Amino acid sequence: MAKRKKPTRIVRTTTRTATAARAPRKLQLRTRTLYLGAIGAALAIAAALVIFSIATRGGDGSEPPRPTPLTLSGATATNALLRGVPQQGNTLGSPSAPVTLVEYADPQCPYCAQWAHGALPELVREYVRTGRVRIEYRGMAFIGPDSSTGLAAAVAAGNQNKFWHFVDLLYANQGTENSGWINSALLGAIADKVGVDSSRFDDERQSSDVAAVVNDSTMQARAAGVNSTPTFYAGRTGGTLRPVDVTSLDAGALRPALDKLLAS
Amino acid sequence: MTDSRLRVAIGGLAGLGVLVAGYLVFERYTGGAISCTTGGCETVQQSSYSVLGGVPVAVLGLCAYVAILVLAFFRTEAARAAQLALALAGVVFSGYLLWAQAVPIGAFCDWCLASDAIMTLIAVLSLLRLRSVVAYGAS
Repeated sequence: MAKRKKPTRIVRTTTRTATAARAPRKLQLRTRTLYLGAIGAALAIAAALVIFSIATRGGDGSEPPRPTPLTLSGATATNALLRGVPQQGNTLGSPSAPVTLVEYADPQCPYCAQWAHGALPELVREYVRTGRVRIEYRGMAFIGPDSSTGLAAAVAAGNQNKFWHFVDLLYANQGTENSGWINSALLGAIADKVGVDSSRFDDERQSSDVAAVVNDSTMQARAAGVNSTPTFYAGRTGGTLRPVDVTSLDAGALRPALDKLLAS
Repeated sequence: MTDSRLRVAIGGLAGLGVLVAGYLVFERYTGGAISCTTGGCETVQQSSYSVLGGVPVAVLGLCAYVAILVLAFFRTEAARAAQLALALAGVVFSGYLLWAQAVPIGAFCDWCLASDAIMTLIAVLSLLRLRSVVAYGAS
């Protein structure tokens, strides 16, 4: 029995080996085609993505910065928004307002610009003009060199109580990050528009005092654990400020916190 | 490794990728703060490299991971090849984004680095998976 079984097994094994040897050759050819196809497709997709990315994004410092707009946009809106609202340095609104809202922001940050145009006007109308809330802008230069230049200019404008006008117009004319868009031509144009003494402004924005203010506020923001902008804190004026988490960049996101503080 | 094990491993990694990319997409659209150990996440997410023709790259990553995850459920050679193509494209594009973080942006985002690592592992496993066609026979 055992002798009869053995040859059968050998025959079977041989048959299997023969088919196995034939099959991989076919498969190998097919697999190679698949490999090459997959690699080709992958390279094509990746190349298309990279080329598209390079072609559609703006300057990164190696490309010439985008030309400074000769005409500033948003000046009328900014003046209408802030006309008659008291300002002191980086603070907007009455010093005796019962509630303080702090915004940590970078002039280069697109979300800050979005907030400045989507939420700030309503907040100014409802809370700041009515003397109930004062807003403090704490600059945080974290996106790059243009951030520091922009914040220094805002601080210098703040020395002439035009801080908020200045950042609002920077946002309205925001360019590609770190492309050198915050240059003296743009800063000069904004300074003219908001009506600061331009020679004093130019001296101060390049002074070491102002650089130190920007550096300090950036360090303080980092020390407070702020790692994104805009980040908001609010509290009773003179009291403890607590972080306010916002889920959107419109005024509605801050209203509950402000109303609660005003009622307290 | 057998194909089924590879499929499980790739599926698991793709699931992880979906979580990472999904988190970045979620924070991007809600405007929330990204928790970050490198301190560079916001800088990277807000840079112009993070958007491709109006579409955040996190969204592209999410789509790629979802597609890879779905393909892990199929045993066909076409699925394996498509998976490899997606993963390789992902690795090459991740390499470009890694360069973008290192050179022009000058900041790193740990979520992006995690995604790079996941995509690279998936690509290696996808290569093995296509190889397993030869080793174990097509099914």
